Amino acid sequence: MVNWIGLYTLTSREVGRFFSVYRQTVIPGLISSVLYILIFGFTLEQRISEIQGVSYTMFIMPGLIMMNTLTNASSNTSSSMLQMKLLQQLPDLLTAPLSGIEIALAYIIGGAVRGMVNGILVLLVGVLLIDLPVHDIGGTLLFLFLVSWAFSSMGLVMGQIAESWDQLAMIQNFFLTPLSFLGGVFYSIKMLPNWAQSLSYFNPIYYMINGIRYTILEKSDSSVMTSLWMAVLLTILFTSLAILLMKSGKRIKQ
Amino acid sequence: MPELAIQIKDLKKSYQDVFALKGVNVDIPKGEFFGLLGPNGAGKTTTINILTGLVFKDSGNCLVFGKDTVSNYRFTRSKIGIAAQELSVDWFFSIENLLFFQAGYYGINRIDAKQKIDSLLKRLGLNKKKNSKLRQLSGGMKRRFQIAKALVHDPDILILDEPTAGVDVELRHELWNYLRELHNNGKTILLTTHYIEEAELLCDNVSIIDEGKILKKGSPKSLTEDLGKSGITVQLTQESIDKKLPMLDLDYSIEDSRIHFSVKNPELVIPKIIQELTSKNIAIHSIKTETSSLEDVFLSLTGKSINE
Repeated sequence: MVNWIGLYTLTSREVGRFFSVYRQTVIPGLISSVLYILIFGFTLEQRISEIQGVSYTMFIMPGLIMMNTLTNASSNTSSSMLQMKLLQQLPDLLTAPLSGIEIALAYIIGGAVRGMVNGILVLLVGVLLIDLPVHDIGGTLLFLFLVSWAFSSMGLVMGQIAESWDQLAMIQNFFLTPLSFLGGVFYSIKMLPNWAQSLSYFNPIYYMINGIRYTILEKSDSSVMTSLWMAVLLTILFTSLAILLMKSGKRIKQ
Repeated sequence: MPELAIQIKDLKKSYQDVFALKGVNVDIPKGEFFGLLGPNGAGKTTTINILTGLVFKDSGNCLVFGKDTVSNYRFTRSKIGIAAQELSVDWFFSIENLLFFQAGYYGINRIDAKQKIDSLLKRLGLNKKKNSKLRQLSGGMKRRFQIAKALVHDPDILILDEPTAGVDVELRHELWNYLRELHNNGKTILLTTHYIEEAELLCDNVSIIDEGKILKKGSPKSLTEDLGKSGITVQLTQESIDKKLPMLDLDYSIEDSRIHFSVKNPELVIPKIIQELTSKNIAIHSIKTETSSLEDVFLSLTGKSINE
């Protein structure tokens, strides 16, 4: 038996929550992407030759899309969960006839929607401003979906474990942002020394960025199938973790 | 035996090495207004948090209408509405929307919930504020919202954790009236409180809890009769002092011109005392009664005041 109405209600609350503060949750990603295009792209493009046969601005777009997608997806679930804990709203969910799986899924869907919305909007910015070609729109959407879902789940794990905003900010600043930058948003890893290239293979975000870059530009440092499998693997791993932790209630009940 | 709405059996809980509950037993028949009375930190909130699924128990059982709250949580939680002690905060949605969400968690869609939510907002005087956010409400309104939220899915059992803590006198009386109304309409109510007056006025039965143990249970009246210190003091006129007292069938002591009777029901015994004394021509100067309260009961059980 599934509490469908409960699942739907919590999902729509999670989606409604970030849309109600779109100035914090949707607009900033768009502005920063436009800034990246203007500053990094148009100024550096004069000095940097084409990478893998495409202009520099074009080259960084897929990475920007992916970075926006995964940070938005993960911060939606992590901040919403922590907020619920700190503002005494969590008891409303935990005393309702909702299962741990239903609560976890509702949160994950909410974060995945935010990730997708942000990713697609930045993609549109690219299409409108610099005529970004999208070679395989189905593949692009598939990557956006998998990465949104995976990082939304990861955010839910973080939100359950964290006890303060400080701890969340730490994970964001010390892990997610560096891993995104080092995953090759702004460069091809082939430009790196050998040891740094080898290190990049341990960075999951490297595969996400190169996967979506392939579906948009048909250029990639890694094979698209490897990227796809990594995305699927991360999705399964983080979803299971988020659900198991929620089911156990270990970080949210006494 | 009437059907039991809530059964708590030998409930134990410890936090690290502190024992919060040391084997709590509570039975609440359907339709009863029940009070869990005890000082802050006695284990009241822990008990109801285990009952509602917010806290893990160490051992023991909680049953709601005969079903276990862990293995049958969907059934038991749908029967209960909770107004928590701590007021929640929300930055994003109107209070009407929050009530729709709450109904949704209990499996009620917006169309079905609409009528109930409208009537609750009206009854609790929140109708004009329905589009406001929670932080725009006064403390009293937040408290009323809390109760509306607990009732949105029309539960059979209403659990209120210190519902009138920090509430002004007027609102407290309003809330009491509303709770009586709910009780008269058949709701089973479990109330935790450290306000003696609240328990005495509202509850059919109370359990007194302290340091994680239930010390005594019964109706407020029977508890005060058994353990309270009620009595009557009769002050005689000067000329009556030396008269021989009639052999009243009561415990009494004499001090100067005052006679003190230790009785359980002062209001029932007064006529008898007056009758006996006047029949012996003993003139009475004044009569004072001391009715005991649950406060005395608590004091005699624990040796301390409930507000300590």
